[in-house]
Amino acid sequence: MSDKNKGLDKAREIYLDSSRRAKELKAADKKIIGYPCVYVPVEMLTALDLVPYRTCADMKEPVTEADRALPHSFCPVMRNCLDCALKGKNDFLDGMVAIHSCDPQEKTARIWESYTHYPYFHFIDMPITVRPEALEYFKGQLNDFRKTLEAFTGKKLSADKLEAAIKSHNQQRALVRELYELTKPSPPHVSGTEIVQVVKALTSLPVAEGNNLLTDTIGEVKRRAAGPEKKSARLLIWSSTLNDTNIMQVLEAKANVVMNESCGGVRAYRGEVKLTADRLEGLADYYLNEITCARTFRQATLGETRKDYARDLQSRFGYLKGAIKDWKINGVVMLLVRYCDPFAFEMPSLKDYLNSIGVPSTYIEYDYTTGALAPMRTRVEAFIETISQ
Amino acid sequence: MYPLRAKVNETYLKSIEAIKAGKPAVWAMLNFYYGDPILKAMDVEVVYPENYGAIAAAMGVARQYLDRADAEGFPTHLCGYSLTTLGYASRMMKELKGQIPPEAPLGGMPKPLFLMSSAAICDARYKWFQALGRYMDVPVWPLEAPIPGIKEFFIEGYYDKMVKLGVKHLRDFVAFVEKMVGKKMDWDRLDKTANLMIEVNRVWHEVNELRKARPCPMHSRDFWSAMPAALFLAGDLEDSLRLYQDMYREVKDRVNNHVGAIPDEKYRMVFAELPPWHSLAFFDKLAERGWNFVIESFGYHPPIPLDLSKVSDPLERITKFSLQFLVGYFEDARKQNVLGGTSAYPYLKYVKEWKCDGALLHPLITCRSASTHLPYVSDMLIEKLNVPSLSIEGDIVDLRLFNPEDALAKAEPFEETMEHYKRMRKQAGFDW
Amino acid sequence: MTHQEAYLYFAGVDIGSTMTKVVLMDKAGNLLSFIKGPTGAEHRQLANEVMRQALEQARLQIDDISYIVATGYGRLNVPFADRQITELSCHARGVSSLFPDARTAIDIGGQDAKCMKIQDGRLVSFVMNDKCAAGSGRFLEVTAATLAIKLEDMGDISLKATEKIQISNLCTIFAQQEVVALLSRGEKLENILAGLHDALASRVATLARRLGIERDLVLTGGVAKNIGMVKAMKESLGCEVLVPEEPLLTGALGAAILAKETYMKAVRAGEALPTKSRRLEKATFFSQE
Repeated sequence: MSDKNKGLDKAREIYLDSSRRAKELKAADKKIIGYPCVYVPVEMLTALDLVPYRTCADMKEPVTEADRALPHSFCPVMRNCLDCALKGKNDFLDGMVAIHSCDPQEKTARIWESYTHYPYFHFIDMPITVRPEALEYFKGQLNDFRKTLEAFTGKKLSADKLEAAIKSHNQQRALVRELYELTKPSPPHVSGTEIVQVVKALTSLPVAEGNNLLTDTIGEVKRRAAGPEKKSARLLIWSSTLNDTNIMQVLEAKANVVMNESCGGVRAYRGEVKLTADRLEGLADYYLNEITCARTFRQATLGETRKDYARDLQSRFGYLKGAIKDWKINGVVMLLVRYCDPFAFEMPSLKDYLNSIGVPSTYIEYDYTTGALAPMRTRVEAFIETISQ
Repeated sequence: MYPLRAKVNETYLKSIEAIKAGKPAVWAMLNFYYGDPILKAMDVEVVYPENYGAIAAAMGVARQYLDRADAEGFPTHLCGYSLTTLGYASRMMKELKGQIPPEAPLGGMPKPLFLMSSAAICDARYKWFQALGRYMDVPVWPLEAPIPGIKEFFIEGYYDKMVKLGVKHLRDFVAFVEKMVGKKMDWDRLDKTANLMIEVNRVWHEVNELRKARPCPMHSRDFWSAMPAALFLAGDLEDSLRLYQDMYREVKDRVNNHVGAIPDEKYRMVFAELPPWHSLAFFDKLAERGWNFVIESFGYHPPIPLDLSKVSDPLERITKFSLQFLVGYFEDARKQNVLGGTSAYPYLKYVKEWKCDGALLHPLITCRSASTHLPYVSDMLIEKLNVPSLSIEGDIVDLRLFNPEDALAKAEPFEETMEHYKRMRKQAGFDW
Repeated sequence: MTHQEAYLYFAGVDIGSTMTKVVLMDKAGNLLSFIKGPTGAEHRQLANEVMRQALEQARLQIDDISYIVATGYGRLNVPFADRQITELSCHARGVSSLFPDARTAIDIGGQDAKCMKIQDGRLVSFVMNDKCAAGSGRFLEVTAATLAIKLEDMGDISLKATEKIQISNLCTIFAQQEVVALLSRGEKLENILAGLHDALASRVATLARRLGIERDLVLTGGVAKNIGMVKAMKESLGCEVLVPEEPLLTGALGAAILAKETYMKAVRAGEALPTKSRRLEKATFFSQE
């Protein structure tokens, strides 16, 4: 890794070869633990001096090995992830932590565990509601995760270590939010594509290195003379995952993407983990409540005996209203990966919500292959044409 | 076997009458013995849109509801049952202002008092009932359903925490139902209901154990006919218990007299996962070739029996029984180191203990939960037991996708495959 | 209009997957030429050829054209185009200029189907199917080849149907097997064709219902020339279907109108408008501007 590269250049470099730093650290006797989903509480890995590494899919990689384990009508992102694993691309991992966020995550985890042989593998179960007993159960799951981590590392996960890790990761969240402040101006000072590279870099580095990268990047962006070109449309992309620059570039050809509401963008960086006496409680609370993925069932009032659709929409999507206003967003692209069930069911409701607050939106479905890019381009451009009149 | 099928039909028709007479109904989902006993003890009429989806498909009326759901903006890859229900709800509520659509078969589904969904085995199910909020202003209760890791399950205290979640959640659910229905839970009745549910399923489990005999006395078709009373608690549970006991005697009789479900059992088959409900006659054609289906559909099978007699709290009994559906297999799965999914290990056990020569797999294009594990199952069976699989595609509502002629054409070459693997098993020292 | 304005010309170039179309128009909106040719594999090379023919027909030079908009699937491969606009906006504009009361436009091309909502002459929302051949003109083309009949005759034959046969297969390929099976069973060709038209129409109608069907509804694209399809669409949609005299024209027409509007808006605002070099040459992967 080039020492001269800092900030955006460094992010770009890491994006293109995301496992390089992890492999360097492994050569220096660090243990690398992979995770496929942002619901995994990485603070617990950092606290035990393990390096968290987010395993990702590669849209350009044709899926071949995964065919023996997963059918075609299945989340293409996870299928691709598994394919990469079966091809040995993650063999440098010392272990993996999977979590029951959605069906594809849960089902792929078992198969992943069966067909690979990492020294460590742990599956965390996660409830679907945010009820008190569900939170309690999730905390229990994290406690059991702690036990297997301690057995693997031979070290105790103390409250102090966890506190330090939580603070570090909270700082990362705050820095990402600070970076997103720089997309507020018109034109934004940093592009959606650049942020995709930064976020990918963050999930490929230990938290402290990621924080340094962010600090450098924020400084660079603030100082830079020329940022992205101003386009007429300022978009929010709402999706399950969006961490591929090929896709972001198609979206940004004629627009400024100022908010990436997906787990390749801002979703894992909102809010912060509270420091509770029982550290795991703060973690359980954050991950179950703060991550705005469609897999979690939210309702206006827990156990409500009446349903008010408008209130229901507000409880599920209301967090978007402030962002849309503050970032002066004039269009939302609801981007769906084919076969994603939780997000698919949300589409009409989200559209209802956006209509109710007067924000134009369009729905684009794609199958996570490079062949999907040209049709995506036509649809995004046509949408931009309708909002730019 | 047929008294049980007749009983389920009778229950269904009685339910329609009750609903027409104004009795409140609840839309529920398959919840694996967790929420159903509560509803039953509260004497609520229950409608299962998942079943209604299959009925609508079989009667050829699903298409209009699917098209309507499409027009409403629901992506087409979604579960066919959910799209049917969403389209139906849109038609009933938006177009007909709450009146049951006249074209809806078997009395349709009335606007419910509330929706009880379940997270068990499938995301789509609880998101689907949430999406119904677009058309119906009725509350949803999504039942939690933990999915443990097989190795992780054996961590000390893990199971107890699952039970704690289940019991507390169920207690809150009871309070919710009490509010919605407007009366208090009769706890004695719940106690009795829970016990009956457990006993009915215990007897039903024993019936299926008898199918290990050669020749197998009971075919999958009979299983699918008979299972709703045990899985959905349809009808009076005491009646059901008697009927399953009768069934046990009849099947035992067949075993004693070496009577098989089909005249000439050449191949003992396992079927995964959901049957082609609309094309069950297809199995008759296979039976003519000597294919006896001896075991099937893990998702529909009763849990491995568990002694819960010392558990005094009915909610705890219900929770443990419900969890048993998945975790009953974990000890074995861990020993065998088969970790690939909760729905996969049972097939290893089935094939070994019911001595199967081949697996017929039926992946469904819009039902990922019933299809995802099939490639893994196929891989696992051939690798560990030298048992081959044949895959015939279909769908839960788009019945055009299943092609019986095509499937039958594959039968002959597959028989050769099964013969080959019989020889391979013999060489490897297996006893079937 | 000043004498200079009187001599302003605009071009719309629509590179579809099957056909390339060029429209030249003057400032008053008069159509000076309309040329179409098959796109083929070498569409990068073809745009300038079709443009050349259009210029010839209009007796103009390429330098006479003030502003050029390219649209369609190959719109990025027109080096002499000043602006690219999606075919969705262009069709909406073109349809609206021919049918001022149009609120819904449906274009069924060789490889896709597009439905567009129009308000005040412009595109406001849309839905597309470009994944599945069974929802496009390809469905009928493949069948024509299977049955060895001319594509252009299919519609007329289908109108003779005495009963409608349901084609159950979703997929273009499997539908061919089904068609052959039906024929060998003795079913009449006209009845089978009616069934096929129906199948395609109902798929497109389902797509259109996502947007909501509002009159006037206009059908364009190669498939609109098929009289059997127009009838099937009427039945599936449950409303009157208007068809322009030249159904392949609307994309290029809309592009030309949008070229005119873009240019005139800039002129009136006194803004400079960047344009491309008017060299009529093949697009290559290496051409830089």
